[in-house]
Amino acid sequence: MILLDITTYLGHLHPLIVHLPIGFLLLAVLFELLSYVKRYEYLKPAVSFALLLGFISAVFACIFGYMLSLSGDYDLLNLANHKITGIAVAVVSGLLFLCTTTAFRNKISISRWLFSSFFIGLFFLMTYTGHQGGNLTHGSDYLSLKTLRQRELKKPSSVDEALLFEDVVQPLLAKRCSQCHNEGKMKGELSVQTLQGLLKGGKSRPAVVGGKLHESELYERITLDPSNKKYMPADGKTPLTKEETAIIKWWIEKGMAMSGVKIADLKNGDEIKPRVAVFLGLGDGGEIADNSGIAVNPDIPKSFNQNLLDSLRNKGVHVRLMSHNPVMLDITMPAGSGDKLGIIKSNLRAVAKNVIWLNLSNNKLTENDLDFLPLMTNLEKLRLEKNPVADGISSQIVGLQHLEAVNLNETKITRACTEKLKQMPNLKRVYTWKTLAE
Amino acid sequence: MCDNHHNEPFKPHLPDLDQLQKGLDRRNFLTRTAMGLGSIALGTLLGKSLFGNTLGQLSSPKPSEDLEAEILRALPHFAPKAKRVVYLFMSGGPSQFETFDYKPKLVNMFGQPLPDSVRQGQRLTSMSSNQSILPVVPSFCKFNQRGQSQTWVSELLPHTAEVIDELCLIKSIHSEAINHDPAITFFQTGNQLPGRPSIGSWVSYGLGTDNENLPSFIVLVSKNAVKDQPLYARLWGNGFLPSEYQGVQFRAGKDPVLFLDNPEGYDGADRREMLDYLSALNKYQNEVNKDPEVEARIAQYEMAYRMQTSVPEVMNISEEPDEVFELYGPDSRDPGTYAANCILARKLLEKDVKFVQLYHQGWDHHGGLPAGITGQCKATDQPTAALIKDLKRRGLLEDTLVIWGGEFGRTVYSQGKLFPNNYGRDHHPRCFTMWMAGAGVKPGISYGETDDFSYNIVKDPVHVHDFQATLMHLMGIDHERFTYKYQGRRFRLTDVHGTVVKNILS
Repeated sequence: MILLDITTYLGHLHPLIVHLPIGFLLLAVLFELLSYVKRYEYLKPAVSFALLLGFISAVFACIFGYMLSLSGDYDLLNLANHKITGIAVAVVSGLLFLCTTTAFRNKISISRWLFSSFFIGLFFLMTYTGHQGGNLTHGSDYLSLKTLRQRELKKPSSVDEALLFEDVVQPLLAKRCSQCHNEGKMKGELSVQTLQGLLKGGKSRPAVVGGKLHESELYERITLDPSNKKYMPADGKTPLTKEETAIIKWWIEKGMAMSGVKIADLKNGDEIKPRVAVFLGLGDGGEIADNSGIAVNPDIPKSFNQNLLDSLRNKGVHVRLMSHNPVMLDITMPAGSGDKLGIIKSNLRAVAKNVIWLNLSNNKLTENDLDFLPLMTNLEKLRLEKNPVADGISSQIVGLQHLEAVNLNETKITRACTEKLKQMPNLKRVYTWKTLAE
Repeated sequence: MCDNHHNEPFKPHLPDLDQLQKGLDRRNFLTRTAMGLGSIALGTLLGKSLFGNTLGQLSSPKPSEDLEAEILRALPHFAPKAKRVVYLFMSGGPSQFETFDYKPKLVNMFGQPLPDSVRQGQRLTSMSSNQSILPVVPSFCKFNQRGQSQTWVSELLPHTAEVIDELCLIKSIHSEAINHDPAITFFQTGNQLPGRPSIGSWVSYGLGTDNENLPSFIVLVSKNAVKDQPLYARLWGNGFLPSEYQGVQFRAGKDPVLFLDNPEGYDGADRREMLDYLSALNKYQNEVNKDPEVEARIAQYEMAYRMQTSVPEVMNISEEPDEVFELYGPDSRDPGTYAANCILARKLLEKDVKFVQLYHQGWDHHGGLPAGITGQCKATDQPTAALIKDLKRRGLLEDTLVIWGGEFGRTVYSQGKLFPNNYGRDHHPRCFTMWMAGAGVKPGISYGETDDFSYNIVKDPVHVHDFQATLMHLMGIDHERFTYKYQGRRFRLTDVHGTVVKNILS
């Protein structure tokens, strides 16, 4: 097993070693051509030595390259190409070196021009080999005119026009995954470059199955724990962001893993629009909807002042965060702390629009203490039970459009108050236990 | 009295603590030895198996503490409908036939064998699998249509019938376990094997407390129940979550928490000072060995201190008017009974305790079911309905979720010999009834249907994990995103299952 590990290890050194022959041979070509210029004639004798170094390192690169090829992650056709041309580079550089030795020169003499033209040939051969190698690692369209043209052409101008797979999912996968999973280098026998490749999947099973999130290996792999061996992207490469994962999830689950569909034509496409907008750089996406599907009052502010919250908490008020975006607060004044209302009123006014639930029960408060209530325009539930509030309270709350429930148990209200509250269209429940209005 | 020495910063000079200062704990030890192995590996160039991986893990930039903090910061995931939960657990497996799942067609089938087309070869417990016949037995009790919703309710539950329009009956709940221990563990922790945190612990860990002076997860076990199947503390245990999130069981009876009173001759005046000093000592030790149990212990000392005043206050029922005791029934004056626990639960909910769980045992009627279930219903029906009524009139049903149910249901066939007036029913996890009421749940509906034998579900099945996912949803938690990493794996209450039952949400 150790032997095998050494092979793999040395194989991984191939991309490193391979730059040595490139450097040496380029230098040899450069020296050879420059030596035509009188000023650089003195470089001529160095060509032979550079060729020798290039030849030796090319041989090593070939050996290591062969070891790497044993890993089986690469497309066979491209690999064969690269292998033959790579060996050719080594052989040609070796032969050229022989041409420079005195022993050889004594037997056969070739013209300097012919010799130089071989050099130029070597240069092109090496360039071609290098490009093949690059294709194996990065994919055949990594460095091609086609990619250049594609990128120029495509760029949807609006979210509605964008094609979910072609404009969003595919580029996303290209960015994060196709370095290893392309047509040239199919790690795990998977290529993410085309929909066909994804549907076919890798070694074990399809990477995506339309509508079936948990049968889609792609989704499973990118949502595993990062320390898991099977987590993707592997080897500490940049992971997908939460938003990118959410897009893929939506595409598989709701978009049925299809291609060629515009966002505008998708059922429930609105759900994914904000995330797509962010991905395409078309605006900040506004509020990214939660998957809970709960409708939220749009008037509630998205942000708030954290200092105010801390200040309220320091003054003994219990503040519960009900939602982060928008910021929804549930504020409770502990029973028997009504005398502190004076010092917290200004804070309450400042966060008024964020208060969704408010509990002021059992605090000896009257309606005159509650002059801040009309500011809490997004309030949905209000608890005022066990306070000496009287009918006047109705004028404080009658303007609260979102109020659903108000608890006036054990207060001094009468029917006059409840009659007035009946005008409120959204108020569904008024608690009047142990009052004259009961 | 000696001098004021305890105002000085704490400096240990004990040889025992020297050992700790060296900090040779498990983590340090492993890290160091792993480093040693890593360098050996480097020297021998054994390839990536030792080289790449070992070093890679050591320099892993994301310790799990950060991950947990990030998960907790995201809570709640959306606006919750429920602020508190009271879960009335009917331990033993109440029969759906004598409570909510009305099956009139069985009347004509008394004593006939259960058709194979219904049973379909499904597993039975070993208690009835060797019976020569599985005789169908109709319910001995009458059912009436009650409330505006005209829901069928057994005559054994006259008080519950009065509040039926508040309840959302789920008639198609089903479980995987067929015996008590795995079934109740499954319901309470999401896994049949012990070791996972209970629902209350998850909620308490995720959402924190709304009342610093009381535990956020409190458990009450009825004393007036037939103790046919045991309960154990792990049902409200914290599993792998930090210990301070375990459920705190209040004892049945006058003294729900022992040793809260000061010992004789001690006025408690310097307790605060003592606790501060103890806490400093604990923190000092914990700087060295970072044991989460020490943090839990500090939190528990502090909680116990605050409970010295908060618990007597909440336990004091002398100020409750007679009308309340009448509402909850005659048992309610006897502390520790189910009825008294219901009053206590209401008081705890009023104090914003987040998760209150009641357990009432004695529903395991393998034989003598008619007499047994009549007694069970008598003990629980009125208090349960009273709790609903009481929460409703106080406005607490607005944001309190009430849950009633057992760990599984019972079979349509009789276990043991069938008499006209006496029979038993075996365990049946394939369908049974539970109900939810209050915050965020549609009132006055029945969800899901079973076949004429209440043997299989024919419409809208609700798995235990679906119920758990729905509960979490009502608390503002996306059950799929609320995880805790333990032993290298991320765990959640619903494991890898569960779908929120959106159709019962209001």
